[in-house]
Amino acid sequence: MGAFILKRLLSAIPLLIGIATIIFFVLNLAPGDPTTFYFNPNVPPEIIEQLRRNLGLDQPLHIQYFKWLTSFFQGDFGYSLAQSRPVADVVWEALPNTLILTGTALVLVFAFGMIIGVLQAVRQYSIFDSTSSVVSLFFYSMPSFWLALMLVLIFSLKAHTWGWPIALPATGITSVDYEFMSAGEKIRDRISHLILPVGTLTLALAAGVARYMRGQMLEVIRQDYIRTARAKGLSERKVIMKHALRNSMLPVITLLGLYLPFLFSGTIFIEVIFAWPGMGRIIYEAIFQRDYPLVMATSFIFAVIVVLGNLIADVLYAVADPRIRYD
Amino acid sequence: MRMRSLPDLMTFLTRRAALLLLTGLLAGACGGDGGSGGVGGTVVVGMRSDFGSFNPVTSSGQYDLELMNYALFTPIVQYDENLDVQPYLAESWDLHGDTGVTFHLRQDVRWHDGQPVTAHDVEFTFNLAKDEQTASLLGTAFLAEVAGAQVIDDYTITFRFARPHAQALEDFWWPPLPRHLLENVSPAELRNAPFNRQPVGSGPLRFGEWRANDRLVLLRNDDFPESLGGPADAERIVFRVIPEASTMLTELLTGSVHIDIPLMPDQIRQVRDNAETELHSYPGRTVYYLGWNNDRAPFNDANLRRALAHAINRGEIVDALLYGEGEIATSTIPPWHRLYPDLDPVQYDPAQAAQLLEQAGWVDRDGDGIRENAQGQPLAFEVLSSDDPLRRSVVEVLQNQLRQVGANAQIRVMEFQTMLQSHRERNFDAVFTNWVLDNFQIAAAPSALFHSREADIQLSANRSTVRIPALDAAIERGGRAPDEAEQRAAWEEMTRVLQREQPVTFMFWLNELAASRSDMNGVEMDPRGELRSIARWSTGR
Repeated sequence: MGAFILKRLLSAIPLLIGIATIIFFVLNLAPGDPTTFYFNPNVPPEIIEQLRRNLGLDQPLHIQYFKWLTSFFQGDFGYSLAQSRPVADVVWEALPNTLILTGTALVLVFAFGMIIGVLQAVRQYSIFDSTSSVVSLFFYSMPSFWLALMLVLIFSLKAHTWGWPIALPATGITSVDYEFMSAGEKIRDRISHLILPVGTLTLALAAGVARYMRGQMLEVIRQDYIRTARAKGLSERKVIMKHALRNSMLPVITLLGLYLPFLFSGTIFIEVIFAWPGMGRIIYEAIFQRDYPLVMATSFIFAVIVVLGNLIADVLYAVADPRIRYD
Repeated sequence: MRMRSLPDLMTFLTRRAALLLLTGLLAGACGGDGGSGGVGGTVVVGMRSDFGSFNPVTSSGQYDLELMNYALFTPIVQYDENLDVQPYLAESWDLHGDTGVTFHLRQDVRWHDGQPVTAHDVEFTFNLAKDEQTASLLGTAFLAEVAGAQVIDDYTITFRFARPHAQALEDFWWPPLPRHLLENVSPAELRNAPFNRQPVGSGPLRFGEWRANDRLVLLRNDDFPESLGGPADAERIVFRVIPEASTMLTELLTGSVHIDIPLMPDQIRQVRDNAETELHSYPGRTVYYLGWNNDRAPFNDANLRRALAHAINRGEIVDALLYGEGEIATSTIPPWHRLYPDLDPVQYDPAQAAQLLEQAGWVDRDGDGIRENAQGQPLAFEVLSSDDPLRRSVVEVLQNQLRQVGANAQIRVMEFQTMLQSHRERNFDAVFTNWVLDNFQIAAAPSALFHSREADIQLSANRSTVRIPALDAAIERGGRAPDEAEQRAAWEEMTRVLQREQPVTFMFWLNELAASRSDMNGVEMDPRGELRSIARWSTGR
């Protein structure tokens, strides 16, 4: 296993360099340039040239590329053009916010998704199965931004106008008077801000996990070895939780591998609607402002996480299913 | 029985789930933002996008400039409600004819770290702005006509003009930077100086904290001189970045946010109908126009451009698409400026448009509803637009209106930067776009947009390639004339030429919209900007 992981990590290096190269050139081929961000009609063209010199944009593309690559591998991501500060600072400020949001959401998505899926499979065709199927398909097929806006409408705006005892904050990560709160109030404040965005993500994504879990579980509990397990007198709980569940995990692990990158990137629409200051918005705005250094750094980190996500999924396959061996 | 032990599992799982839910609900019950009032007069302002940086020499964002001029720093002169120049950091001045000016600075304004603001700071800032390495908007655009600065004593400084020009005192609507904090920063590095994101200013509010895309906190500066209005009324002003218009409105309606900038036109009714919120609509600095490529057929013919101008019903566009929140434009001079020439805009007159088109040789020769010229080429062209919803809907209406007179306009919607690049490189037939005034110096916009000396400069702002000698003459006269009567005459002449020649067709000025809680004090907005009364904002009437 150790050799497998090492091999995979080594083979990822040329892949990542390739990705970085493609990102660099695609971005530079896109129309527009970062000086238009400071664009002002009254600024004479020679000043825009000076600005390009200051930013190093006057150099030929291949020189810019090698300069960028060299400093990149020395850990210097350069300066964000729009925020006038080091890219590393921008990323470090936003990353924890995204991790809190997507980390909480992912845990809940897989917890709820798997629980619902297992229960549905075990009680196939029961009332619970059909109602939860309808409900989860309802949320699964709903556009997430619309779901988000509906939750805001009901739990924030209407809850306020109707005078419900519970009115959730619609936006932001903390209240404006957060710094004046006691420790307990701070925790409550943070959780109350998390509920709507995490709720949206969980409702939208857990349904998918549940469908996969249910399908695979139904297949597994009809297998001979499950019957054998029951025959040798194991309790039903043990049969389901130990023998069936573990063998139904493979598609869920695939999903986990696919969802992991989003831990980093966040989801742009959630961050926009709920004004969550995370990575999704950083990437989104950087692209529109042609903030090249920031776009390149974030896309590269994103690529790294995608590669890592796949690796983790592969390793977990072997953990879940002893028949899978990487030698 | 197979299912015997399932209730076990169920209770186990549901107990967990219930617990999770309960914690959530409990937290929610105690949550909710500070609400109106907050802690010690905190004013919460929702903005759609974040600020960029705070350095008068290198920053160029509209809200950055406003926040520096009205909250964080102390500009040398300040505008009053009539857009006349008033003393501010400079308590008085002596104009040396049209060759220069000497400012006498106040001695009671201090940097937020306690050091006095002096003429040396002003000189330092001027020299930085003029240094090519800083690539400064202030130095090249606003201070283009100011040649040099000389400190007389700690609180007196003289500026020399490069040549006589109109509205000369308005060159000095910018605040100095603290020399003692920035003299070791090299000019080329100034744009990335850490100072720009944690500025030490001199205005009625001082910098508190800034978390990108989240919030900017300003605190009251208790040392700000009473004669300049004194410290801000609010103890704390928190700007929150809320990119989504509908959640932003939700925050305003629930009282978590006190001021909402900007408001979308389709939200007007909701704000107006609510007793707890107040609508702010005021004339803005953004003019929308249809730019023709004057170098390209068929737009190299003034008759054709004039005909198309008559075919456009701008009144209808303002009423239907802008909900009446706009005014028909005739030039780059805003209707609320004292130098605005009050001329009638080009009338919507499809009959006259048809007649002009026929005179110019455009007749529908094959009966398909589109006019052709003598060579049989149809009157067809592309109109570029960005993907902004307002712009898209305007060009769709335009397309329809032009079609009525037999012109076939094809809409090409592009991402903003891509459109801008095509426009700058003059690779277009027609484009629907806008122009935002950075300041109130009337000559700036027309000389960049229409003066023929810019026509052959690559990537210059004269993207329609306008070369009209009568226009050049009027712009130069308006920019040089020392007295206002002559300036007014020159701008009237310019507007007439623009109406006659239609190098671009001006569409409308868009009103700015904002909303505030009704119990807010001191929220007044006008063309000087949303933030102009920020020092007087407070909660709880």
